[in-house]
Amino acid sequence: MLTLTSVVHELLDRHPDACLVASCGYPSRELFGAGDRPANFYLVGSMGMAGPVALGLATVRPDRLLVALDGDGSLLMNLGVLPMIAASGARLLHLVIDNGMHESTGGQQTVQRTDFTALALAAGYRSAARISRPGQLTALDTEHTPLLVQAVTGARAGIGPRVGPSPAQLVARLRDELSRPPAPAR
Amino acid sequence: MSAPAAETMLRALTEQRFRLATGVPCSLLKGLFAELEDPGSAARRAGLRYLPAPREDSALGVASGAAVAGERAVVLLQNSGLGYCLNVLTSFNLIYQVPVLLIVSWRGHDDTDAVEHDVIGRRLLPLLELFELPHQLLDRDDPAGSVHAAVAKMDQARRCAALLVTEPV
Repeated sequence: MLTLTSVVHELLDRHPDACLVASCGYPSRELFGAGDRPANFYLVGSMGMAGPVALGLATVRPDRLLVALDGDGSLLMNLGVLPMIAASGARLLHLVIDNGMHESTGGQQTVQRTDFTALALAAGYRSAARISRPGQLTALDTEHTPLLVQAVTGARAGIGPRVGPSPAQLVARLRDELSRPPAPAR
Repeated sequence: MSAPAAETMLRALTEQRFRLATGVPCSLLKGLFAELEDPGSAARRAGLRYLPAPREDSALGVASGAAVAGERAVVLLQNSGLGYCLNVLTSFNLIYQVPVLLIVSWRGHDDTDAVEHDVIGRRLLPLLELFELPHQLLDRDDPAGSVHAAVAKMDQARRCAALLVTEPV
């Protein structure tokens, strides 16, 4: 079974050059713990805003893959972002960690188990996939964006570290990272 | 105020290197949205991108993402939408120190508007002041000067600033 930890590691291996925006709570802490780097942008608040913030970044740097690391609870809070991302045609991978609960606040259930791939496709995403086993993210075709990936996971064991850099430091280092010209194709 | 005021305001924004506009319409901001929706408008041709948003907080999130990447961005909204934005303002913009410009129609600024605007209309300035968000009233005789003044306040405070619009543009 997938876990937040395994999905984040697979994501970092699969897309080492992507710019990542993580939703508040466990997703941000997991990503910080898995491998902090300037292209990781952690939201410490503003639940529901990983998609919008990633979209804003994507409009400035269309050459770079943007990943919104969302949760089922945080996406359910702001489903309106789906048509907005779809309409933009952005090069954006919307990765939804679907554990069926608000794990960051103690595991309370989210509204209901939801088919986020159907919602994304209905909203106009160019592709969507549901994954539930290790290796599936690595094997996935991520060419047709915006793309939503619903990763069905179990609960996380323990809790990731708190994000170290201050919010202003996170902005400064990401802006510096994005001010560099696109990396040559390899 | 006639249609050219909208053009003048958007020209002032592109002169100030604004590259992204997003937001949710208000009838007071009709002229601005008409310019933004027209791919052939001067503002669009000057490089101002426009993304319609479903709700004001998502618009602010998108504009904030662009601002993080180093671009200037503006959100257009009715003051009713400021309520939706409060969490993003307080838990993102004000702590990450990412300013974006807000062009806010001030419904209910006097007693002649519809009842749903009464409460937020009366309390708009105290609300902005509570969160120390600088604001500038749009002067119908000098729309460009008002835009420049609002942007200057945003830059100086390094906080989201609101340009308040009380008459149709």
